[in-house]
Amino acid sequence: MSIKRTLIVAGLTLMAAMPALAESDFPTKPITYIIPFNAGGESDLSARFQQAEWKEHTGQDVIIQYQSGAGGAQAWSQLNSIQGDGYTIMGINLPHTVLQPMEGSVGYKTDELTPVNYFHYTPNAIFVTKDSEYKTLQDLIDYAKENPGLVTFAGSGAKSANNLGQLQFDNLAGVKTTYIPFSGTGPSITAVLGSQTTAGFNYATSGTNQGDALRMLAVASEKRLPAFPDVPTFKELGLDIVGGAYRGVAVPDSTSEGMRQRISDIVTEINHDPDFIKKMEDGGFVLTDIGYGQMPAFMKKMKAEYAKSAAALGIGN
Amino acid sequence: MELLGYLLDALTPFNLMLALIGVVLGTVIGALPGLSATMAVAVLVPFTFSMEPASGLIALGAIYTGAIYGGAFAAILVNTPGTPSAIATTFDGYPMARRGDGGLAITLANLASVFGGMVGAIALLLLAPPLAKVALVFGPPEYFWLAVFGLTLISALSVGNTLKGLVGACLGLLLSMVGVAVVGGDVRYTLDSPALLGGIDITSALIGLYCVPVILDLVATRAAHLKINSDIEKDGIRLREAMGIAWRSKFNVIRSSVIGTVIGILPGAGGSIAGLVSYTEARRSSKYSANFGKGEPDGVIATEAANNATVGGGFIPTLVLGIPGTPPDAIILGALLVQGIKIGPTLFNSESQVVYTFIFGLLIATVLMLPAGLLIGRYAYKSVVSFPKSLLVPTVAFMTVVGSFAIHSNINDTQMMLGLGVVAWVLNRYGFAPSPIVLGLVLGQIAEQGFVQTYLIGNATHNISGMFFGRPISIGIILAALLTLGYPFFAEWRARKRHIPPLTERAMAAEAHPTDIPPTSATPDTAKPDSANGDSARALDTGAILLAVVFAAIGITAYMGTEAMSSMGSVFPATISVLLVVFSIGLVVFALLRKGSPSKGGDPAASTTRRILLGIVFGLWVFLIPVLGFFVAGLAAFGTMMVLAEHETCPAKTWLIRAITAVAVVAGFWWLMADVLLLRMPMGLFF
Repeated sequence: MSIKRTLIVAGLTLMAAMPALAESDFPTKPITYIIPFNAGGESDLSARFQQAEWKEHTGQDVIIQYQSGAGGAQAWSQLNSIQGDGYTIMGINLPHTVLQPMEGSVGYKTDELTPVNYFHYTPNAIFVTKDSEYKTLQDLIDYAKENPGLVTFAGSGAKSANNLGQLQFDNLAGVKTTYIPFSGTGPSITAVLGSQTTAGFNYATSGTNQGDALRMLAVASEKRLPAFPDVPTFKELGLDIVGGAYRGVAVPDSTSEGMRQRISDIVTEINHDPDFIKKMEDGGFVLTDIGYGQMPAFMKKMKAEYAKSAAALGIGN
Repeated sequence: MELLGYLLDALTPFNLMLALIGVVLGTVIGALPGLSATMAVAVLVPFTFSMEPASGLIALGAIYTGAIYGGAFAAILVNTPGTPSAIATTFDGYPMARRGDGGLAITLANLASVFGGMVGAIALLLLAPPLAKVALVFGPPEYFWLAVFGLTLISALSVGNTLKGLVGACLGLLLSMVGVAVVGGDVRYTLDSPALLGGIDITSALIGLYCVPVILDLVATRAAHLKINSDIEKDGIRLREAMGIAWRSKFNVIRSSVIGTVIGILPGAGGSIAGLVSYTEARRSSKYSANFGKGEPDGVIATEAANNATVGGGFIPTLVLGIPGTPPDAIILGALLVQGIKIGPTLFNSESQVVYTFIFGLLIATVLMLPAGLLIGRYAYKSVVSFPKSLLVPTVAFMTVVGSFAIHSNINDTQMMLGLGVVAWVLNRYGFAPSPIVLGLVLGQIAEQGFVQTYLIGNATHNISGMFFGRPISIGIILAALLTLGYPFFAEWRARKRHIPPLTERAMAAEAHPTDIPPTSATPDTAKPDSANGDSARALDTGAILLAVVFAAIGITAYMGTEAMSSMGSVFPATISVLLVVFSIGLVVFALLRKGSPSKGGDPAASTTRRILLGIVFGLWVFLIPVLGFFVAGLAAFGTMMVLAEHETCPAKTWLIRAITAVAVVAGFWWLMADVLLLRMPMGLFF
């Protein structure tokens, strides 16, 4: 009995020690990468871009799976029940993972999730069709000022990054517009293209697929995007709107510190791959590369920022 | 002539091989309920990174089209739509199989799928840029009315039983609202359980609502699952006969293919609506409309032609606008972008070689589906017919567990599947068919989003009624819906005026379309034509009254639940719960007046004990998976169900062979899920 117990204890100690040894040559088998959304969205696309470079940088494949539901909450609420051996990672998004728990019981709390690297964001942008009478953002603002509520914006989801952007825009431009939520970027862009709404509050990434069918009036990034050198930023136009949806990689909370750092390093490494940079920037994504070390400070800043916006959305009161 | 060059590019041996493998793989995966085209395509995307873009696309497109066709097998043979696209295939496919025409139904499905797939692909080849505009003229009001049009099918599915059908639809609509609302973001009817946040998964609900009652009925009787045709000649795939039927129904085939192509173009509508709409149209225009729902070949043809046409149709907005029509389209779009190909209006010029080679590849894959599908169909039919019950019951039960689990690698979906299935069995006994519930569930979200978006836009532009009723396409859809609703009454009226027997009675007599279904049938006996001059001396329908009271209570609770919601999130559930209460009260009144169709009595030959025991084993199974692990729980349940389902005494040798089969089936699925589809399997004490 005691021999058996000794063996078990020894075995467990060994197993506990293994990950520490394994980090340097991690990964030794394919990794599962769960996307908490349906295929075809920005989260899926950026993960697919990573997937194409993953093997070159780690020697192993990454397998993408979709676990959509409740705007991502379904997958995030289960993240910590997954084995924390580093071989299962999950996409994680802002503002979703801050706003959702504020709103009510969604099965997880913001601080229970462990993001290890936020690698890019998709800035918000205002789109109109190419035949639209609004040539510049000022045209749209002028019209909205004369006709309160009449301007309709199609966007992805309610209480989402697009919705936050629209509220910020209303607030800073001193106008009142109507936000129409759709079930994703695809349907909302379709509505914009078909002139079902006046304009769209979407991500800049939508600009790449539509060619010249859409006109981007302004983009919510710090600097102009390489893919759209002619599109002004909101900042240039005097409105301090910078933001959109941030996307990163999270791990279960049982994942060791060393492994968290290792996965963050892999993501960073891919973020510096010239092929990856080119595809992402051509697509209208903005690379950020917030690694595991900078995470606490970044999350603190973002939570404070979203807390202000949440009040405007009527969340958490 | 450029196009011919691209055709030759597509015809390389490597591409042909990819197309064939893709179609076979897709058909097999599509045939297993819950394992969807999305899953198959998602897993295979990385393999295409190392291929030429066109070859990779051909492989993915072939899998996709095969999977949509494969969905018909499970629909026909075990009453379970393998994919939501095949919902309407169950309406007539399963009754056909019950009466011994399963092989014929599968062959018809194959012919219709191939033709529909060709029409969709040819539209993609020749007309993509102009057709893409269809996607753009469909706004929120059109989606709303399209969903309403789909719901009008309920009136057709529940002739003589309309109130029960409407109650079922309201229940389905309420179920579709569980979870986080897309519009408004309210968290609705989750009972504070995180498991319900994502809502009720449509595929797992389909599996439960349609398939679990079949399993429960299978175990209760000695009778064979499907009638085996005694006529040897009629026991195969009956290709010649099927071709004859398809030729006679050529207008149905063409109309359904066109409907499928057009609806496929609409992002977010998809194969399920295409199948339902073309089924409705086929029924309305058929001379044998009374036979629909009881094994009418035209029903299978309409659905299968339409859902395969959505494959080509769905690629139109994907390639032209960069807006994926369906989830598999979305994954293929992602694969294209990773390959560095820019999607969008310029694609057909800038990357014409890749695009046209792909489209031809899709066409070739569709053609290959004819021989491949017939072979697989023949094998699937033969094995379902020849499997002894003690193997069939656990295998089908195991497939429902695998399928409902595989969608999200989530055991909650499996538990929901079984729960809904048991409820469906009870409801079905009292005359509430599963199909209206399913229609409500599938169409609820589309209807609600369309409705609220239309209202928001109308409200902002001070033109609410114009948004709902003033747009040309909306008016067209509304008229079509009214036509569908009113046509049966008109036909009946005209027949009475001319002093000829009404359509329904004539159709019953039509020899070419036999409708004899054994009395133990588990299918929704929806289209009962005998209620017009119903028997006034029938017994009080106590069960239905009790259920109606329960539903009214559910409606009141649901209505009270809307108080905490935002105005955007509450309008739809409030309306539906009021309707549910009204219909339920109506049902009670009618039942007390002894009108309306009665509940079906139980089958005297059925063994209630076996049925209850099976239900208990099934329940233990899905709750023990997280404790024991998927493989061990599955094997234990498989063994127990095998014994429960056997009504005869068998020699030990037979049991040994069956035990080996059991291990092989469970291990095979485990391997498919864990190692091929790379799902995360629940680990319990064991594995």
